[in-house]
Formats: sequence, C-alpha cells, structure tokens
Amino acid sequence: MKISLTVNGAQRAFDVHPGDTLLEVLRREGYKGVKKGCGAGDCGACAVLLDGRAVNSCLVLAGKADGSEVLTIEGLSKDGALHPLQEAFLDEGAVQCGYCTPGMIIASLDLLTHHPDPNEEEIREGIAGNLCRCTGYTKELRAIQAAAEKMREARHG
Amino acid sequence: MGLPSVKEFVRPGTLDEALELLRERGERAWPIGGGIDLVLFAPREVETVVDLGRLPLRYVRENEGRISIGAIATLREVLESPVVRDYLGGVIPEMLHQVASPLLRNLATIGGTLVSANPWSDVITLFLALGADVVLSDGKTRTIPLEKLYPARALRATILTEVRLPSSARESAAAFWKFSRTAFDVALLNCATFVRMVGGRCVEARVVAGGTPQLGARLPRAEACLVGSGLDDSSIERAAEAARESADVREDRRASADYRRELVLVGVKRSLHEARGRLAGGER
Amino acid sequence: MAEERRPAFVVVGKNERKVDGVALVTGKPKFAGDLDLPGTLCVKILHSPHAHARIVEIDASEAEGLPGVACVLTHQNTPLTRYTTAGQGYPEPSPYDARMFDTKVRFVGDRVAAVAAETEEIALEALKKIRVRYEELPAILSVDGALAAGAPIIHDEKDSPGIYDAAKNIAADVDIDVGDVAQGFAESDVIVETVCETQYAQHAPIEPHVVLTNLDEDGRLVIRSSTQVPFHVRRIVARVLDVPLHRIRVIKPRIGGGFGVKQEVLLEDLAALVTLRTGRPALVVLSRQEEFIASRTRHPMRIRVKLGARSDGALHALEMEVLSNTGAYGTHALTVLSNVGSKTLPIYNKAKNVHFFGKAVYTNLPVAGAYRGYGATQGYFALETAMDELADGLGMDPLKLRRRNAIRVGESSPIFEKLGEGREGVAQTVKSCGLERAIELGAARIGWEEKRGKRPRQGSRVRGVGMSIHMQGSGIPQIDMAAATVKMNEDGSFNLLIGATDLGTGSDTILAQIAAEILGVPVSKVIVTSSDTDVTPFDTGAYASSTTYVSGKAVERAALAVREQIVQVAAAMLADDGGNLDEARFVLKNERAVAPNGRGVTLAEICQRAMYQTGQFQIAATASFVPDESPPPFMASFAEVEVDTETGRVQVLEYVAAVDCGVAINPKMAEGQVEGSVANGIGFALTEEMLFSSKGRVRNPTLFDYKILGARDVPPIEVILVPSFEPTGPVGAKSVGEIGINGPIPTIANAIHDAVGIRLTKTPFTPERVLDALRARRPG
Repeated sequence: MKISLTVNGAQRAFDVHPGDTLLEVLRREGYKGVKKGCGAGDCGACAVLLDGRAVNSCLVLAGKADGSEVLTIEGLSKDGALHPLQEAFLDEGAVQCGYCTPGMIIASLDLLTHHPDPNEEEIREGIAGNLCRCTGYTKELRAIQAAAEKMREARHG
Repeated sequence: MGLPSVKEFVRPGTLDEALELLRERGERAWPIGGGIDLVLFAPREVETVVDLGRLPLRYVRENEGRISIGAIATLREVLESPVVRDYLGGVIPEMLHQVASPLLRNLATIGGTLVSANPWSDVITLFLALGADVVLSDGKTRTIPLEKLYPARALRATILTEVRLPSSARESAAAFWKFSRTAFDVALLNCATFVRMVGGRCVEARVVAGGTPQLGARLPRAEACLVGSGLDDSSIERAAEAARESADVREDRRASADYRRELVLVGVKRSLHEARGRLAGGER
Repeated sequence: MAEERRPAFVVVGKNERKVDGVALVTGKPKFAGDLDLPGTLCVKILHSPHAHARIVEIDASEAEGLPGVACVLTHQNTPLTRYTTAGQGYPEPSPYDARMFDTKVRFVGDRVAAVAAETEEIALEALKKIRVRYEELPAILSVDGALAAGAPIIHDEKDSPGIYDAAKNIAADVDIDVGDVAQGFAESDVIVETVCETQYAQHAPIEPHVVLTNLDEDGRLVIRSSTQVPFHVRRIVARVLDVPLHRIRVIKPRIGGGFGVKQEVLLEDLAALVTLRTGRPALVVLSRQEEFIASRTRHPMRIRVKLGARSDGALHALEMEVLSNTGAYGTHALTVLSNVGSKTLPIYNKAKNVHFFGKAVYTNLPVAGAYRGYGATQGYFALETAMDELADGLGMDPLKLRRRNAIRVGESSPIFEKLGEGREGVAQTVKSCGLERAIELGAARIGWEEKRGKRPRQGSRVRGVGMSIHMQGSGIPQIDMAAATVKMNEDGSFNLLIGATDLGTGSDTILAQIAAEILGVPVSKVIVTSSDTDVTPFDTGAYASSTTYVSGKAVERAALAVREQIVQVAAAMLADDGGNLDEARFVLKNERAVAPNGRGVTLAEICQRAMYQTGQFQIAATASFVPDESPPPFMASFAEVEVDTETGRVQVLEYVAAVDCGVAINPKMAEGQVEGSVANGIGFALTEEMLFSSKGRVRNPTLFDYKILGARDVPPIEVILVPSFEPTGPVGAKSVGEIGINGPIPTIANAIHDAVGIRLTKTPFTPERVLDALRARRPG
C-alpha cells in the first residue's frame, strides 16, 4: 500500500507492506537516526514525533501514520544549527554511546514543547520510556534543564 | 517484518463503516486503537487491520459531573484533560502518571486499554473502583458496567465507543496505589478504592485489586467491612485484612502469591487512608 | 602531595565535547546496522531448545530448498575448530571449548544452525524447516549440581584444551596463599564469616550485537562489528574460518554500548562465513530476546569471606572462597575468577595472611563472560559486607575500620604479584591513592556522622546509610598493548590513528585531548580515526579499564615523538635567524612552536616546510605501550536508603561516589563513567535478575521483565572526582571505566543493615526478599 508522510518537513510517499511498522519504514527509507533497541516499546530508542507527540515507532503500524507529520532526529537541526537540546546534550556530557540519544532527545522535545518549564520529577517522567545503559541519566536531566532554559529565552525573545 | 500476515490496513471514517468491515472480515479482522497489542502479540490470523483512529471518538467531556471519554482518546490526552483534573481528588491523572511511559501513553487509547484487558492494567483497576460504564456498539448501542465486560469475551463485530464515569457525589473519594519493580513497569499489584459517605457513614465502597496477576476484580468482603463504618482506622484495618484473605492472588515470574497477599493488605490499607484523607481535605 | 606534581594543562581537564558528538546527536548513520549494502543477506540463528542434548540428526534440506535461502550453516558444513569466543590477548586464558556449531548443545540458546536469506521473513521461515533430532541429556542447572558426584559431564569432548578438569565440570581453578591464614585466624581476636550470592545479570546494551560483512573490491573480507575488540576479532575469525589474517579487515564503527558483552566474538564468524560462501554482504542482528538467551552474562557467584582482626581493628587474616558459574562455556572463566581476588584483596593490604581460592564451573545455563567490574563486583559484595560485620563485631565505625586497613601511597600488596589475569601478577607499589580523601569527602557529602545508626522512621519507612570502598585496575600489566600513530598535516592539524575502541565511553575524545595537550592545539585540530585493523595500529581493545591508561600512554608517547620532530624543524626555522636554540625549552601552544627566546612559528608553517621545502619528511610517529603496572583507581561509595518495612521496597535516596582516577582528562566524561556504572550497579542491587525455568530456559528475556533502571528509578548520583596524579599514567591519569559498578551492591546492603538491621546476602534485594528477611528476623 502507499502512504504519504511529511517527514522532517518534506512530503514523502512510501510503498509499504500493510503490516510494516513505522520504525521499519523509516529506517528502510534512510532515517537511520531512528534506532531499534527492543522492538517492543520497552526502550524508547525508536522514538519519533508523530503529529507532535513522541511515540515508540516500533509499535506504530505504518498505515496509522498515513497523512501524519513525523519528526525524526535528522529533522531537528535546521540549516546546520543544532537544536538547543542537541547542544545541551553535547555540553552536559549526556551522550555516551549515543544509541539512545535520538529517542531521548525526541522524548525531551515532546516534554519541553508541552511543558516549557518542567521540574526534575517531570523531566524524569518525560524520559521514563527511554532507557539508557551508559549514563545513569544525571547528565540528561541537566541537559534537558539547560535546553529548557534556552528554549524559554528564545521564545521570550 | 512487522506483521507479515496483514494484507489490508483500513481506516474507516464512521462507526457503521468500521462495524461493517469487522462483520465482513470476521476473525481475520482486528480493530485497533493505538495498535500496541496487535504489534506486540502479532497474531498470525490477522489479515485486515481496522484502524479506529479516524472515528469521531477522540474526546474527554463532562456533562453534569459525569465524564465521558471517547475510546480513541489517548492516555496522554486523558491525563492532560482539564475535565478529569479535579475528578475525585485528581485520582485519574494520579493513576495515569504511573502507567507505562509517556511514549506509550501517547499511543495507547483508553478504548484499547479497556478491551485489551491486560491483567496488570492500572486503568481497569481504577475504573472498576470508580464504577465506570462502557458503551458498546454492534450497530445497536448498549451501555454496560465495565465489570460486566470481563472476563473479556471476544467482542465479535462490536466496538467499545466510550467509557463513562459517574458524577462524583459529595463526600466521596477515591485513591489508587501501585506496586511495581521499577517506575516504568507493569503492576505486581495495584489497588483502587472508592468510598461514598453520608453523614460520616460509608454508604458505598468499592475495593479493587489487580495484577494479582489476574485482571482487577472487586473484593466484596473488604467492601463489606467499610459500608456502615465511619472509615475509622480499625475498619480500614479490617477491610485490608479481608482483602488479603479474599483476594485471589497467584504466583508468576514477577512475584509469589504470598508476597502479593501482603501487597493486597498494604495497598488496600494505604489507598483507603489516602481516600479518607481526601474526604477530610474537603475534596469532592 | 601528589597534586603538586600536576602540571598546568590547557586541553586536559577540560570538558571538551565528544569528537563524535555532533554526528550522534543528529542521528548520522554511524552504527554497524546503519549501513545499507545492496544485496545484503539476513542471517538468523536456530537456538537450542534444550539445556543439554546431543544432536543425533540434522536435516536442513527443506530449509535450503526454500526460495530466497542462500545458505544454511550447521555442524555438518562448517569448520570444527575449537576456540574461545573470549576476545582476549593471545594466547587466550580461556579454554578452547567452543565450535561454530557443535554436535552437542549445552544450554537453551546454544547455536544449532544458521540461515542466510534474502529477507528476515524467509530466514525465520527457513529456521522452522530445519529438522533436528536431539538426544536429551540430564542438565545441570546449578553450581552445586555441577560439582555433585556423578554429575553429567558438560564438556565430555576430548579436543577442548584449557579446561581445568572437564570430568568434574571445572572450567578453571585458582588457589593462592600469602602467609598462613590458619595461624592468622588463630591469632585474631574477632572473626566474621559471610557467604554472599550474586545473580545472573545481563549487560543489556541498548544496541544489540550487530555484524555486517562484505567482500571489498579486492575480494577481501570486511567485518563491521559492534565489537570492543576489533583486533581479536580479526585474529580469531582468521583462525576459526582458516582465512589468512591479511585477507580480513575489521572495522568498529560507533557502537551502542558494550559493558563487556561485546568483548566476545559472538557473531562475526557466522556473517563472515556466509559472505565467504555466497560472495554477498551478510547482516546479523541479535533480537533483544537473543541478547538475553544467547549472548553473555555476568558470572553468578557464591563467595565466602572470612576475616580475622585484632581487637584494635587491624585485619590479620583474610580468606576468600569463590564458586563461579561460567555457564555452558568457559569464556573468561579463569580471568573473572582471578579478578574476584586480585581487584579486591589488595585494598586491605595490611592483612598478612591471605588465602584466595575458588573454582569456575560449567552448568547448562547461559554463558557468562566479561562484564564491567569483571568479578570485582561480585567480590566486593562479599568482602565489604564482611567488613561491615567485622566493624559490628569490633564495635567500631565501619568507616574507621576501612581507613585503618586500606592501602596507601608507597605501599604494596603481595596479591599484586601472586594473582594476575589467569596467571601470576606483577608486583607494584601504589603511586597515587586518593582513597583516604575519598572516604572523607564522601562521608561529608552523605552526612555520615549525622545519619549513621539513627534509623529515622516515618510510618513504615526507615532510613539508613551505608558505605564501602573499592579499587579496580588500569589495564592488564605486561599483557595489554596499545599503539598510536600521530601524523601531521600542513594546516597544523594532526591525524590520530588508534586501535583503541571507543564503545561510547568517549575514549576517542580523551585520547585526542592528550594529543592536543602535548601538541599545543585545540581538540578540533586532532582528527581521530580508531578501530580499523587496516588503518590503525594495534590495540588489545576496550576492556579491563585499559583505554585511558594503556592507550592513553601510547598516544602520549606518539605525540611526544611528533612534538620532538616539530621542535627540530622549528628550531631549524628560527635558527635561520641566528643563534642556537635549546630544543628542550621549546613550548608548543596556541598552534605555535615557541622558542626559549619568545620567537615562534606556526605549526602550519612547520609542516609546510617539512612537507614541501627543506629536508622534506612526514612529521609522524607511531608509539606503543605495554604497561608494567596497573595503577588502581579508588572509590569510596555511600548511599542513603529508605526501607519500607511493610512492602520490603528499598529506595536509594542518594548515592555518592568519591573516585580517584588520577587526572580526569575530561571531568564530565569521567563522571559519566561513574554515574553510568553506578546506575547499572544499583540495578544489580535492586531489580536485575535473569530467571530460569526448571528446564533452564530464561523466563524473562525482555526489557519488559528484566528490569534495568529508568530515569525515574535512578537516584541523584553525586560523583566527586578526588584529585590525584598518577606518575606512570598519561598526563597523570588512571582508568575509570569499571570501578563505579562495584559500589552499589555492598553499599546498599550495608545501608539496609543500618536502617533495619538485616543482612542481605543474595542479590538482587527485591522487595520480596527484603520483606522475607524482615519477617525472618521478627520477633526481635
């Protein structure tokens, strides 16, 4: 079947098998920043924004995304400029192996879009579905706080 | 890979269309809300996926204190809805904050959750305690208590369209308690309690334990200890004890039956104390 | 003090961004599974359903006939060479007890066959069509079962060298003595004895094992693997498949975490053989379930520790007995067993009488292998639990007891020499040790004095604090080797070529920082290429906390050699203007070489001259390093916990790890190593455990039921980097990759004891176990 998606701002049409997951389609089409860690919604490495909300793309049937907007990690930086979340993850040392990082950043983006000023508990909950085996999350928490501050400043001009 | 057996993915725009598809395709059709369980369990017989996501069932409404949640509303949408924020002391968001992860809550629908009937379901445990009704449609519409939906019979060519929560009477309160290995985990045991008081006496009580590891079920013997009481410490203690004795707990890989029995006691006790506190706090 | 020797650094000690960071945060295809090669075959493995069985018959003809199947591999058509999957130095100290495919299966998940097909669906379909007839054998599902008289023999084959005693299911055995331990106990005033048991635990890197192979334009085999040991992969695959080593190139792209599980040649042979047989690219990716059932685990252990002390608290006799479960194969069996003692006992070097002995035994359970901490994690549970009990017995503050007995600068331990990695060790004297200071800072941070023994209670919840101390090593002395090449470009930049393997730890970055420091350039002027056997010099790989210290030293040496060449050219350039210049007094900074007289030239000018103008040559050097010692990093760790006495739930409220790793080359990365390993360690302490059916099948092979900690579970972790300077290390550094993981189990166990008075001796401390222990103690 054919589906049409807006991926990272670009209108795309894909030929998919009706049983394909969004994760499979995205990786097949070259969006390798979307990672597979478990295929069961347990790790969050495959998170993408689907119509503005972060979801486990391994659990979304591709047909369900037909007509939707998808944002993957590849679409986050604009014209070579990193997003404040990407900057903060680098500056705070929140990236180790980097395999969970795309999903973690996408989940954080969902959080900060809807809660621009989260407290620590809310941040922890916001990335609760994104497992990281390298960092212990301490540096991610700081990075998300730092990014939130930058994003608020940018918003208020 | 996904689901190799699937040949057709359809997205009906109306309930009638959806029901028609389910009738036509029979057992080879599978209706989905978020579709999580379909992907996870990948049943080999499924050839047609009927995505209910485009049905006009994505809402959370209030009408004279009664809350109606459309089947397609995601757990996230319910969690963030102003309509449920203050319902019975905020017990619904309190529970939903403990369900799975934000990523899954963005995908899971309330209807899918109720129909999937995962035995650890926090939503079902709480909604049973709240006395929820569900609206089913197979062309004709009927409303039944959520309790009557289980044990989950296969809903042949039937769609759960809405869940309804009764208006929260004055002097009533509810609380939810969950015990799991980590925060992002299914319940080893969950508990929900609801009490309604008139003139300082409990006139209605519902005590539910789930993940036992079976689906949430009411514990009438515990409820009986509460009705007629003033919800004093000793009646709570008796109710918790009765819950421990009467809950049908079993062993699985996550916990032993004995341990679950202890958790029932603690969970019922703690959620009743919490509910009582909410009454005292003057919340609805 | 050691810190005084610390020179002023420009790049070292700075929180430089990861050199590969931008690619990672923008989702660039940097991982082994991100490369699409046309015509790639998907490889799937048929795993044994039985814990112990002989393959009587195997018929793959139907599978082979399935359209889309390119080849099926079984013991009938693959090399029968015995080898070890352990990616260790050569000759490996692990028995050669494995084959690609054997005629016997030894655990549920063991390899039976593999299929390469056009698609994953076809490969999975073909697996179902392979007919296997098994003769089931009695299975051994516990260490006691393995040692019981008349137990079935798991490795009854005659051609597996290196097994200690196959007939008794003993893969490895260690027994070392210092002084006279019996006499030592006889002379002790207080004696305690404890037995601790650790669980089957899995590494659970978020990226599973991935291997992609293909033939390059010249017909050479290229292996892209998520490996910690590219050079060992090349050597072992060459031997197993009987391919000349020079026909193989191994590339490690970015890898999504290793923690030891990727120090194993687990899949490379399969993909490589498919590519050699078919001429086509082949991809193997383990599913999450396969990670649990068929990769590697931590060695579960039962450890008995007996301590004897004089009444003043001086440790006098120390005995440690280990029973390690290596599972179906002996990969890392001997070395992990040795490390239980070699990385723990020297910390209490005052004890004159020490006996360390133990066995690693085979069982029909999943294969244990290397896992961050490498035996020390298990050893410290028992040792530091016993130390707390000893403190109790002596009526002494556990913190004071440890201070009194811990190793210090200028001291040694006979254990260093007696016990190495599967052989005798190397004598060494500790030249940097911030342990005393770590204890002091950590205690202050957690509030030891105020909180210890107070048992504040709120409802059913009681709080307590606990601590423990630790050391690890920095590489394997006289075994590990690393090499680095530094090559200069005419814009004043440098290529740094290293065999070292960055598995997410940030080693590419800190090695670049070392080079940049010495060469007087920013990190951006150091282009790092690592882990490509065709391009980079040799390195044993990323394990045993070796990279910072061993690879770092190689980089330091190469950079110093290049610096010398630069200065020679600079001196010649500046000398043209008259006067002799003392080359020893040149300084490289701000991308310039500055002479003692203050005059300087840019590095770009220097390289341009060397390349194009006068006395032309390539400014470059390769240097190697083999360490003669393994300076230990040290750690004091502290935790405050709250125990719910009604549910048994243990919540860690705060965790403090005060760590001496010498000079922290990149402090945030060093902290990150500790934070991550502590979080993993808390998981071991509280939730992580592989469960088995009565048939030896893993019951929870998913992240749904094998619970690693998420962001809501990990408590605030405070890492204190205690300043010290290791004179033998590169820029004063020691390694820090593993030590953190040793802390949580004993620290939390001791904190639980402080809170509620129970001693937990079996990990993980699940609510159910804690509640059982509380109940067992009552009434009391």
